[in-house]
Amino acid sequence: MDEDVLTTLKILIIGESGVGKSSLLLRFTDDTFDPELAATIGVDFKVKTISVDGNKAKLAIWDTAGQERFRTLTPSYYRGAQGVILVYDVTRRDTFVKLDNWLNELETYCTRNDIVNMLVGNKIDKENREVDRNEGLKFARKHSMLFIEASAKTCDGVQCAFEELVEKIIQTPGLWESENQNKGVKLSHREEGHGGACGGICREEDRLPMQLPGSSCGCGNSPGMWAWIPDFLSMCTNSCARPLCYIKGIV
Amino acid sequence: MAADSEPESEVFELTDFTTASEWERFISRVEEILNDWKLIGNSLGKPLEKGIFTSGTWEEKSDEIFFADFKFSVTHHYLVQESIDKEGKDEVLEDVLPQSMQDLLCMNNDFPPRAHCLVRWYGLREFVVLAPAANSDAVLSESKCNLLLSSVSIALGNTGCQVPLFVQIHHKWRRMYVGECQGPSVRTDFEMVHLRKVPNQYTHLSGLLDIFKSKIGCPLTPLPPVSIAIRLTYVLQDWQQYFWPQQPPDIDALVGGEVGGLEFGKLPFGACEDPISELHLATTWPHLTEGIIVDNDVYSDLDPLQAPHWSVRVRKADNPQCLLGDFVTEFFKVCRRKESTDEILGRSTFEEEGREIADITHALSKLTEPAPVPIHKLSVSNMVHTAKKKIKKHRGVEESPLNNDVLNTILLFLFPDAASEKPLDGTSSMDNNPSSESEEYNLYNQFKSAPSDSLTYKLALCLCMINFYHGGLKGVAHLWQEFVLEMRFRWENDYLIPGLASGPPDLRCCLLHQKLQMLNCCIERKKARDEKRKTSISDNVTNTYPRDAGRSGDQLGPDNLKDMDKEKGEVGKSWDSWSDSEEEFFECLSDTEEFKGNGPESGKKGGLKEMANLKPEGRLNQHGKLTLLHNGEPLYIPVTQEPAPMTEDLLEEQSEVLAKLGTSAEGAHLRARMQSACLLSDMESFKAANPGCCLEDFVRWYSPRDYIEEEVIDEKGNTVLKGELSARMKIPSNMWVEAWETAKPVPARRQRRLFDDTREAEKVLHYLAMQKPADLARHLLPCVIHAAVLKVKEEEGLENISSVKKIIKQIISHSSKVLHFPNPEDKKLEEIIHQITNVEALIARARSLKAKFGTERCEQEEEKEDLERFVSCLLEQPEVLVVGAGRGHAGRIIHKLFVNAQRLTESSDEAAAMAPPEEEPKRMGSVEERRQSSVSDFPPPAGRELILRTTVPRPAPYSRALPQRMYSVLTKEDFRLAGAFSSDTSFF
Repeated sequence: MDEDVLTTLKILIIGESGVGKSSLLLRFTDDTFDPELAATIGVDFKVKTISVDGNKAKLAIWDTAGQERFRTLTPSYYRGAQGVILVYDVTRRDTFVKLDNWLNELETYCTRNDIVNMLVGNKIDKENREVDRNEGLKFARKHSMLFIEASAKTCDGVQCAFEELVEKIIQTPGLWESENQNKGVKLSHREEGHGGACGGICREEDRLPMQLPGSSCGCGNSPGMWAWIPDFLSMCTNSCARPLCYIKGIV
Repeated sequence: MAADSEPESEVFELTDFTTASEWERFISRVEEILNDWKLIGNSLGKPLEKGIFTSGTWEEKSDEIFFADFKFSVTHHYLVQESIDKEGKDEVLEDVLPQSMQDLLCMNNDFPPRAHCLVRWYGLREFVVLAPAANSDAVLSESKCNLLLSSVSIALGNTGCQVPLFVQIHHKWRRMYVGECQGPSVRTDFEMVHLRKVPNQYTHLSGLLDIFKSKIGCPLTPLPPVSIAIRLTYVLQDWQQYFWPQQPPDIDALVGGEVGGLEFGKLPFGACEDPISELHLATTWPHLTEGIIVDNDVYSDLDPLQAPHWSVRVRKADNPQCLLGDFVTEFFKVCRRKESTDEILGRSTFEEEGREIADITHALSKLTEPAPVPIHKLSVSNMVHTAKKKIKKHRGVEESPLNNDVLNTILLFLFPDAASEKPLDGTSSMDNNPSSESEEYNLYNQFKSAPSDSLTYKLALCLCMINFYHGGLKGVAHLWQEFVLEMRFRWENDYLIPGLASGPPDLRCCLLHQKLQMLNCCIERKKARDEKRKTSISDNVTNTYPRDAGRSGDQLGPDNLKDMDKEKGEVGKSWDSWSDSEEEFFECLSDTEEFKGNGPESGKKGGLKEMANLKPEGRLNQHGKLTLLHNGEPLYIPVTQEPAPMTEDLLEEQSEVLAKLGTSAEGAHLRARMQSACLLSDMESFKAANPGCCLEDFVRWYSPRDYIEEEVIDEKGNTVLKGELSARMKIPSNMWVEAWETAKPVPARRQRRLFDDTREAEKVLHYLAMQKPADLARHLLPCVIHAAVLKVKEEEGLENISSVKKIIKQIISHSSKVLHFPNPEDKKLEEIIHQITNVEALIARARSLKAKFGTERCEQEEEKEDLERFVSCLLEQPEVLVVGAGRGHAGRIIHKLFVNAQRLTESSDEAAAMAPPEEEPKRMGSVEERRQSSVSDFPPPAGRELILRTTVPRPAPYSRALPQRMYSVLTKEDFRLAGAFSSDTSFF
């Protein structure tokens, strides 16, 4: 089963304590809801393989503790993550207000700047909502994040959130590494030759200029018979190995 | 197969392929390819615009065919053009000449700066070449050439292809082509002459006109006028008046460390030789008619100064030696060396070093012994020297690859605090960096290198320098060994390492930088502890107390599984065999309270009441207005242990351990347990600071959302706040409750250390010592690339070249991608280095050109701008038109350059001629001659190109008038005529 997995992605769930991070994860991985889930200590870890657009991705999801004191412990887990799910509780405004702090933390500790961020407003099944959907939307737009409202209890939006996140990550060039590069990856727009570390799709501007002005062989004669310099001026020394450049040796 | 394309008209005709010869098969293959490429019939394109041969895109298609067992390659070269409207195509024009024949006369693209030679000779926009596939193969014999040409002719005739088809004959380097183009009852033959020595009568226009006319053999009189285009090219190689300013850096002077541009920590830049080797001036008369000018063997009207068009190209030196590029490349080569430090420096050092380490550990245990130890007042200024002395003692000065002065300079550069008597706070230098917020400063983030003012970065630059100038690999190994020694020295003597940001390792930096930061964290803690110990020793307080307290804390505080196992194994060991690290306690800097009798012993079995009687310990500050639920005392936030700093490899290890526990409930439980050390430690500190507290109190501080308060109306009708733990905290025997029950009131300073700095420091030091020069180079390569990019950026800033700016941006974005992944491929790294070198060469070229054209000396603002534009065009375009030709500003400068060069050769020639006196009479004559020629400001042209064109009926006076063209080029050792002569084939 692991053989057709395109890549393993590291995803991090962060947010204030008690907003339902572990519950969201449990709903996603085991499709259950436990109202009496113990408060996470440090970080917890779960794995799930999902399929997005025919590509299987193995998700290693790190669930973190939201308590202030644990925050000194968790930043190290931000390292190398490709996606971050930032959770707040729609029934507790303070958890929404604190989002800015979390974003700051993300910015400080993330080792790369192109990771995909998703904002999730949890507990929409509850009646005493304090944070409007529009506020969440606005916040997400401001910080260019994905946004969804969800309920780990009723299962609303949970699956969708993770799928959306993974899809976005896979679409982001250079963010992930393919596990089995030579096994024929299903992505249609993947380019060979440039693959390697960036693992697939690359934007045009990512590529290095193949030819800088004047960087070709000094004699100016590129392979074939293209000449920068008119043929009669091809005074190449032997340093240019191309056979066409020895104009002097005429019989 | 040949019949496939021809409709069978007669039903009963038998077609016989059985006798098809190799030749026939060859022809049919050619036809097939022409058909495949859809080159059949006439498709007229737009008239050629001026310069389209250079600005447009050329493409080619290739295929291979065999003549018997001889392989040919067929290549179709064509200028990509927008397809013309279909309407135009629908009109079948019967008598229209093939495109290529019309192009023969087009004057818009004579002498293209960059084109296939056939394009230059014949002005074609499209053609097919049939050439031997292997470079060494050649069609030499005349009969073979004819056979090929016949094949081509037959194939063109059979298919109706109107694209000219060429056959390459003779050796490839001679670029001999013969070819043919066929149209409706017209044919053009492409012929060529290539000679080494040119017959005298053909060195000038009038002689060439004669050949052209005789070749046409036109029966008409008078002959229609011949149009003439001429280009003379002059080469300037002598730049003597502008010597190349860049000189190889003076290495000897470097020892002082104050040589301009080449101090340690700075990268060199620039080309060592002039990156512009030649200037080619092409003077063109684009449109002359016969009779307007005279050019024969005795007289010529062709004065370059009078030419209506001037254009210039520069020839760039092949791979000019560039300092920065060489520097980085050499450093990159170290990455591939396999030798270990010991192998490089010799075996003896290894042994001695080993002994030394033993000494050190011994010394360390002395230091940490409870008995008062006299701590020598070491001034930092002599510590570097001590470290060095050890080395000297071991190896002898003669043998060390780095000489002492150099080593001293480097060590002082790396550790500036060693120069002052007072140890500097290593971290302070980082804070007052003014540009720390700038994008440039934060580049380390993208490159995963290190900040440009950090020790790591400086070390990288020093190693780079040493590798290049001071002993290569040996020097690198030597400096590294010194560096590691210095690190150990600092660890042992509680000196912080300078040039590193304080705090836990910055995971955005390279691993080596993180390791050094980690070591600094360890030193910081050890220093605090040692200072503490000194005071406690002076206070005559024995430290048996905390030892016990620490022990008791061990019961439930495994920071990871390995630890637990290890401890189990070590419990039985005697006190002496314990490494001191296990017995040390976290002692907080801010906590100045002394132990006051109420040790943890009394609290061990103590219940709530007893605890309430204890004296509070390790308080940090009051937590708002919160009070303890049971006794109403103010709630205090305790002093807590700081979490253990981690480098990325440790982190990787730890998360691997955590992940390995799996996703089962047991796994999750175990994982939480492993991470509960910090929670437990905090709980203990909390209990110590708040005697008589309960879990609710703790939760209100630690996880306030898990304490739910509700307004309830009591029996008396008053609203009271009633609070309780959240449901999840109330789960029986959950980890929080469990930990709370086990936690004893112990202040942080007497708890067992969460972070064992001694062990971690030894681990780092061991790691450093184990690094081979190659590993080291790999660690530091991002820093070197980072520095090189900054250098290039800085230099570009002085020149302001827009194209370079763009390339630098691309290099940064590319490198940040490559360097962010662990173990980037060598090929990609090489590519980056290559790009940096290219940019360096580009900047060096710009400088060279600016110096030559004297843009700085130009006084008039407008002229200066024009000149600058001209120079930047020279860098980016293959050929640049000189506005105003010889009379423009740039033209005058170029003229002067040639005049000066001429004068120089003149005088040197004369001097040479003076030397042998016996040739006196001859010399007179030659001087006479030279006087004549010295009137000319230019050397003899390096190339003379001529294009002759006309339209005449051929072969008979009543034939159609068709385009005729002849191109000739004459250089010192090479003469070529390329003629295209068309004739009407109807009636012939």
